[in-house]
Amino acid sequence: MLLKLALESLKDRKSSVVLAVIAMTISIFVLLAVEHVRSQTKKNFYSTVSGVDLIVGARTGQINLLLYSVFRLGQPTNNIRWQSFQQITQDDRVNWAIPISLGDSHKGYPVLGTDNRYFEHFKYAQQQALKLVKGHQFTSVFDVVIGANVATKLGYQLGDKITLSHGMSSTSFSQHDDLPFTVTGILAPTGTAVDQTLHVQLTALEAIHKGWHGGVKMANVKLTQTQLNGLKVNNITAFMLGLNSKMSTFQVQRAVNDFAQEPLTAILPGVALSQLWQMMRGLERALVMVTALVFIAASFGVSAMLLASIRERQKEIQLLRVIGAPAIKIILLILIEATVITLISIGLALFVLFICLNLLQSYLMVEFALHVHSNLITANNLYLLLGVLLTALFIAFIPAISGYQQTKKAW
Amino acid sequence: MAIHLKNLSFSYPEQPQQKVIDIEHWSLAQGEQVFLQGPSGCGKSTLLSLIGGLLVADAGEINVLGTDLTALSARERDAFRAQNIGFVFQQFNLIPYLSAVDNVRLALSFASQQKGNDPLFYINELFDQLAISQEDRHKATRLLSVGQQQRVAIVRALCNKPKLLIADEPTSALDQKNRDAFLSILKALTTEQKTSLLFVSHDLSLAKTFERTEQLALINQISGQN
Repeated sequence: MLLKLALESLKDRKSSVVLAVIAMTISIFVLLAVEHVRSQTKKNFYSTVSGVDLIVGARTGQINLLLYSVFRLGQPTNNIRWQSFQQITQDDRVNWAIPISLGDSHKGYPVLGTDNRYFEHFKYAQQQALKLVKGHQFTSVFDVVIGANVATKLGYQLGDKITLSHGMSSTSFSQHDDLPFTVTGILAPTGTAVDQTLHVQLTALEAIHKGWHGGVKMANVKLTQTQLNGLKVNNITAFMLGLNSKMSTFQVQRAVNDFAQEPLTAILPGVALSQLWQMMRGLERALVMVTALVFIAASFGVSAMLLASIRERQKEIQLLRVIGAPAIKIILLILIEATVITLISIGLALFVLFICLNLLQSYLMVEFALHVHSNLITANNLYLLLGVLLTALFIAFIPAISGYQQTKKAW
Repeated sequence: MAIHLKNLSFSYPEQPQQKVIDIEHWSLAQGEQVFLQGPSGCGKSTLLSLIGGLLVADAGEINVLGTDLTALSARERDAFRAQNIGFVFQQFNLIPYLSAVDNVRLALSFASQQKGNDPLFYINELFDQLAISQEDRHKATRLLSVGQQQRVAIVRALCNKPKLLIADEPTSALDQKNRDAFLSILKALTTEQKTSLLFVSHDLSLAKTFERTEQLALINQISGQN
């Protein structure tokens, strides 16, 4: 009966209640959206690389190495000699290795030079391997396997001919236009940097740089088939290592760092990832803080509305007392009203956010390579919403106590 | 005894020096109907709040239906009021956005133990007796006329078969014709149920149908001094 009274009372004050619900819905929506996108981004971030025990590059900071080798951001400080790569991968403790070479691009998308070991060993998220939705891995020198975003954004199909640009700018004047590539494979979306990447063979990169000196094309090159077969890789940018035993990770890391022939750095991707995330921690916290404040403001708004209503409802509360309602039930009534407003707002916010996520999912995937689930019922979100409800209830004690004080008066 | 007051005194906490109620002795017998006449400002509302257990006396004895109210806790007083005392006021007797039926149900929900076998059957009977149509019973009470609202208030007050009915200026908002009809049905119903009636009004012209008429100014020794 008390619930019915609360509901009827709210219905009776429709206009102010609707406004309170809107304010509350917006604040919960913002809170939920920020928190959801934040946790999904974090998950995506940590999903970027998986199953790789060490990443090796020229001597540099571990975040810099992580940024260019995994996220294709920033510039590599130096190259590694191919001999060094071969020497290290011959170590008994090494199970597999993926060489990678960066520096060229195609319409602003980074080009990664590697070989078929990449498709075999590279893992992301929870040890998921890369999958080709169309086509096949490298079979001849000028094959290119493109990421999902590259395919959708640039509208490439199997068999399309593309040329690479020297350097990372999308408006580079230095084009490798004498040696076109053929799209032979398209990868399934991963929600990682792989989606934005074009993968070519290391030998192909060597080929297109024939006749280049200091980043400038000196002469057009025509390569014969025998020349192509005889191409040798001289330098790579970095390589990823999988070890036979996790136990030897630190030993191998030390061995690489102490490598006599060349100054190298080996990093543990998990450690580097969390260090990089730590740098964004302040921003992350500030974002959550602001949304929490927005929500608290909305809760106070609802309480102010209820408080004002109690002034108007003085007679009603006295009547309830006269017909035998104990003071606790008056407090309960106000709290039920606050709860109903909050629950309606939570429901609306979830609904709107669910619709928005479904509508924006492919957009976020294409534009930001952000893989956001529209499943909002996660333990994290449930705790958050429970917190929302408790906060709203806590603040609603202000009008509830005011309502209780009304009961102390005679009529 | 329906009501028994002895050496009762009360003052509001805001003005502890000024006594509002000071009654040496007053009582109402079970089933008796009394007209209590008093102008506003003579402690009328305060006295009724004390009898209803909404306020607590500073000193003295308030015995209602054989229960000493001063010995009860706040919750017990609320339950006692819900169970045993019906109230009808001049106005604002009903939650305006609830229907007549829901107003009655609300009152019943506070009185935990239900007397009689089927309260709803009894309530429908009361609605019939007070000529509230089926349709009007399910409308928000703010849509009813003042006369209808006061009659629904009687149903609300009597739904739980209380042993004491307190009516505080219940007819002041009504016109002559409605007033007489209201008064006669109120008296008939309380007589039938053997409910004690404490009828309070400033309008002495209503007193003629009551056997016993009292002046609050004479009972409450404080009001004479002001």
